[in-house]
Amino acid sequence: MMRRAFCKIFAMVVLLIAGLIFTDDARSNEPVSFQLDVQPILTSTGCNSGGCHGKQRGQNGFQLSLLGFDSDYDFAAITKESRGRRIFPASPEKSLLIQKATGALPHGGGQRIAPNSDEYRVLVEWIQQGNSRAISNEKKLVRVSLNHTDRLLAANESSQLQVTAHYDDGSTRDVTKQATYQSNDAAIVSVDEAGKILAGSIPGETAIMARYMYNIEVCHVAIPLAEKVEASVYKQLPRKNFIDELVWNKLSRLNIIPSESIDDAKFMRRVYTDIIGRIPTADEAREFLGLQKDNKREKLVDQLLEMPEYAEFAANKWADLLRTNPYRVGIKTTLNYDRWIRQQFRQNVPYDKFVKSIVAAKGSTFRNGAATMFRDRRSPDELTTIVTQLFLGIRLECAKCHHHPFEKWSQEDFYSFAAYFKNVSRKGTGLSPPISGSEEIILEMGNGSVKHPATGKVLSPNPLFGTAQVAVEQTGYDVLQSSESPKTLREVLADWIASEENEYFARVQVNRVWADLMGRGIVEPVDDLRATNPPSNSELLNALAKDFSNHGFDQKHLIRTICNSYVYGLSSKANDKNISDRINYSRHFRHRMRAETLLDSLSQITGVKPSFDATPSGTRASEIWTHRTGSLFLDTFGRPNPNEDPPCIRSSDFTVTQSLHLMNARDFHSQLINENGNAAKLAKSDKPSGEIVNEIYLMIYSRLPSADESKFATAIVFGKDGKTNQQIAVGKTSQPAAKAKPSEKGRRKRIEDLMWAMINTPEFSIQD
Amino acid sequence: MAILKNCDGTTRRDCLKLGLGGLVAGGFLGSLEARAIANEQRAKNREADACILIWLDGGPTHYETFDPKPLAPVEIRGQFEAIQTKVSGVHYSKHMKKMAAIADKLAVVRSIRHNQGNHGAGNHYMMTGAPPRIPVGCGAFVSFHPSLGSVVAKELGAPNGLPPYFSMPRMSRSGGPNFLGAKYAPFVVSDDPNRKSFRVRDVALPSGLDGGDFSVRKDIRSSIDKMLRMNDEVAGDPAMAFDEFYDQGFELISSKEAQAAFDIGKEDGATRTAFGRNPFGQRALLARRLVQAGVPFVTLYEGGWDHHVGIFDALDKRLPSFESSIAALINDLEVNGMLERTMVVVLGEFGRTPTINARGGRDHWSNAMSVVFAGGGTSGGQVIGATDKQGYSAVENVLSPENFVSTIYKKLGIDPGKLLRSPDGRPIHLVSDANPIKELMA
Repeated sequence: MMRRAFCKIFAMVVLLIAGLIFTDDARSNEPVSFQLDVQPILTSTGCNSGGCHGKQRGQNGFQLSLLGFDSDYDFAAITKESRGRRIFPASPEKSLLIQKATGALPHGGGQRIAPNSDEYRVLVEWIQQGNSRAISNEKKLVRVSLNHTDRLLAANESSQLQVTAHYDDGSTRDVTKQATYQSNDAAIVSVDEAGKILAGSIPGETAIMARYMYNIEVCHVAIPLAEKVEASVYKQLPRKNFIDELVWNKLSRLNIIPSESIDDAKFMRRVYTDIIGRIPTADEAREFLGLQKDNKREKLVDQLLEMPEYAEFAANKWADLLRTNPYRVGIKTTLNYDRWIRQQFRQNVPYDKFVKSIVAAKGSTFRNGAATMFRDRRSPDELTTIVTQLFLGIRLECAKCHHHPFEKWSQEDFYSFAAYFKNVSRKGTGLSPPISGSEEIILEMGNGSVKHPATGKVLSPNPLFGTAQVAVEQTGYDVLQSSESPKTLREVLADWIASEENEYFARVQVNRVWADLMGRGIVEPVDDLRATNPPSNSELLNALAKDFSNHGFDQKHLIRTICNSYVYGLSSKANDKNISDRINYSRHFRHRMRAETLLDSLSQITGVKPSFDATPSGTRASEIWTHRTGSLFLDTFGRPNPNEDPPCIRSSDFTVTQSLHLMNARDFHSQLINENGNAAKLAKSDKPSGEIVNEIYLMIYSRLPSADESKFATAIVFGKDGKTNQQIAVGKTSQPAAKAKPSEKGRRKRIEDLMWAMINTPEFSIQD
Repeated sequence: MAILKNCDGTTRRDCLKLGLGGLVAGGFLGSLEARAIANEQRAKNREADACILIWLDGGPTHYETFDPKPLAPVEIRGQFEAIQTKVSGVHYSKHMKKMAAIADKLAVVRSIRHNQGNHGAGNHYMMTGAPPRIPVGCGAFVSFHPSLGSVVAKELGAPNGLPPYFSMPRMSRSGGPNFLGAKYAPFVVSDDPNRKSFRVRDVALPSGLDGGDFSVRKDIRSSIDKMLRMNDEVAGDPAMAFDEFYDQGFELISSKEAQAAFDIGKEDGATRTAFGRNPFGQRALLARRLVQAGVPFVTLYEGGWDHHVGIFDALDKRLPSFESSIAALINDLEVNGMLERTMVVVLGEFGRTPTINARGGRDHWSNAMSVVFAGGGTSGGQVIGATDKQGYSAVENVLSPENFVSTIYKKLGIDPGKLLRSPDGRPIHLVSDANPIKELMA
């Protein structure tokens, strides 16, 4: 202790002397600002990054705010914490801050700053000048700008970004060196530490983000195909509605030529799985393929949208997003919620009304399903993250604890939004794990407040941007009489969210629906509409959103518009002018069908329905009301796991367990070989062999077999008993069907084999 | 890597020609090779090649297992007396006889504690090393972070088409991959290996079909498959992924090594008896066979340890056979020369309350628990840390779930301080406190 005290006194003395000695020197230099000069260095060298001192709880006892968003906090951490031992004013070079950063003392992060570099000199000077929090007349950083925000590059071409910081006094500074850069897709365009962007060798596009302190700017970079395509090529392409025009515009910029259009059979299978969540039956397929009408595709879309299965399938998708875990909110509540969601789609409730019902919901969670979100998410901050992500496509989660690193949102934005939920109150027992709670009533009677977690300031409700109406709680109930239709905080919030001016609202929903139908969102992930995550075709996204809002947020209209576009009916088969396109819809993007679609289709094909717990018999997979209803199949094929956080993640990947399940699952096997199943029925039927084979192809692939396929399949089913079919290959059926027909039993087994084989090909499980 | 040798000079097509059951893993030679090289390098830095995690779901009592308190008042020490183990001065509770006899091979950690007193949260904390981010109820089943098994699956992989991470007889509560992706979810073997009819779901052909049938179907399949493939990687064709996983699945079904690993009938009667002719005992034996075949992580997830009621009767019935299966596993690993490179870990989500409740049970208690390690470079005969005189709380050398999972990662050659990236771009440390329990490290 004595020694330490001595050191301190000694240090102060030295500081005084040093102060005298260095005054001259310091005056000769520009004053160094902590906020404007030091912080950018700590950020650009990664000191305050999320993997290091910027993470919660810091690193080895030294914690900084993430990316330097809180200069007061960081100033205290550097100059005051640990008894101020991080700064040694007597000999700035010997400060722990400098010694660690230069690696002169053992440092887990290694050398971050080279001795005598510019960064080094700034830090040392700041300490020399007395390591103050702010200099006099300190200016404020307002924004940053880039020399390019839209750039077309040739393959392997490079370009230097230049970042300029703009201050409130109108001055600017070149901060290219201190800024950090990130590419959204480094395989397309990469960027180095110095801000030099380098186009890759394949055509494509992405966005490069430059960040200086907590200001960001984005540069869109596209690499068109080298070979120019004549404008006339695009002019000749069909345009069935505005979607086509906007997609062709984008393709022409990149010299991409779209794929061919698909035939009726593929179109049919596509719209069936997209709109009603199952493949067509053999009868449905036969009927549609036989129709001789010009507008038969449009008619089919209309017809599917009116089928009850449409509502169940759409609700199944929304239930993914809203689904509650019955282990948390109780079984009855979950069932109610599911029923409420389904009801909205059965009645085709406009999307804005649907969202408003949820956000402003009141009443018993046993009676009003819409109120369930407030039983599940109980604090204003939990409600804020789910509401902004679902209905605005804004992910605020980061801003809960620190300034959003890729966005403009601050903690103040987050908690001001959260303040809209401050008055939510509850009566009854909502959660009482491990058993289900009882009835709970959601009210707007609370008198809560939401504070900024760092400053403790009580925040008043504020929308993220734009203006919202004033709620009764904000004016006081006295004014209530005079106001025409007084609204509560949540009603005001619901209006703001679903207003036509709020462009995020329509955009996130059209993007979601577009992604479901087209295999990829215009923005991916679909609910992450960040400036730093730009849409692949913003004109298209905006036009869809506008069309959606102009048509009263009618979801069927939205689906119909997309399905009736020419682009929707493009083939997935790539040409050499669009093979590398994975974001501009120049071809259909293949994807594996959802778990429920696959299972419902399998039940239809085999003619045997599986039974699910806690549902009436005959329930289809897309009608199940909770993901907790056991199903090995649905789990294997990636339905969302309500136990995961976030719970709405649905996996569309292929996995080895899926292949094994389709090959060998006992459930599927018993469906296939069921006495009353379709395989048995077909084996018994006295239809001619060709018709039976056609039936099987229509049932499973929704198309008729080619002549070769028909020959091959006929040989399998009606070939001589006991012979394997290895010799018989499509195209060279030199030993076709045998003279003696196999027995019914043998035929059934062969039909089962054929059906099994077809179901185990990608043509069954991939939506093409 | 015997499999590489087997396939030496043989193309994948040749392998396929050998027919069902006569196949060796021929596909993905490239990726296997790469992995083999990575693993070889890693093997130099690691103490163990595999981990068998025995999870006693519900929260096993520390008093009646590895941390008896004979000097505490009866309402705390309970009905079971302490017994001397093979290591002088170390006592276990009365039913832990077989474990006491091999105490020189065990390291008992008595001082891990945490603050998550319900099943869902405690399970998550111990299974992943990360505390749950929001309050989690008891019945809940949550995942906010990749589990031990999923991380090991991703980092180490397994040969012969075998899945690298098994969970038996079911998926553990928080044992999932979270953002690592479905590929690293555990392969669940729910079937009971103690039954004569034991077959591994989806790997064994459904009954009524034989290898010949399967072979026919497979041939039909390959002829009937006419879907166009876009081979160019830039196209991102999911049909290519389909093929990859189809081949892997087929490899697993047809790999002799994999099938042999599952064929518990190959064990002699005496071994099967030693493990105990009950589902848990045979699962422990199956776990050993899987590890032998190269699987790096197996979870045995055994429910029924939530003794709120009548704990002593329940343990009188359950513990003797249970502990004897664990001891048999450790002994067997040693006899087979595998203990040195295989760690066996026994734990649950927490310990249980000091005071016996009105219903003769003990309730949840996360202030104290016992975790047992054996093998994989752990020196035996140790007791690490201690609870107070009455077992209320870990007081000496207090350790966290983070220390616990770091130990497992470090032993398997995985850096617990590794930086992962969540899908939303957030950097996340594999374990926030990457310090392993030093007494357990070789």
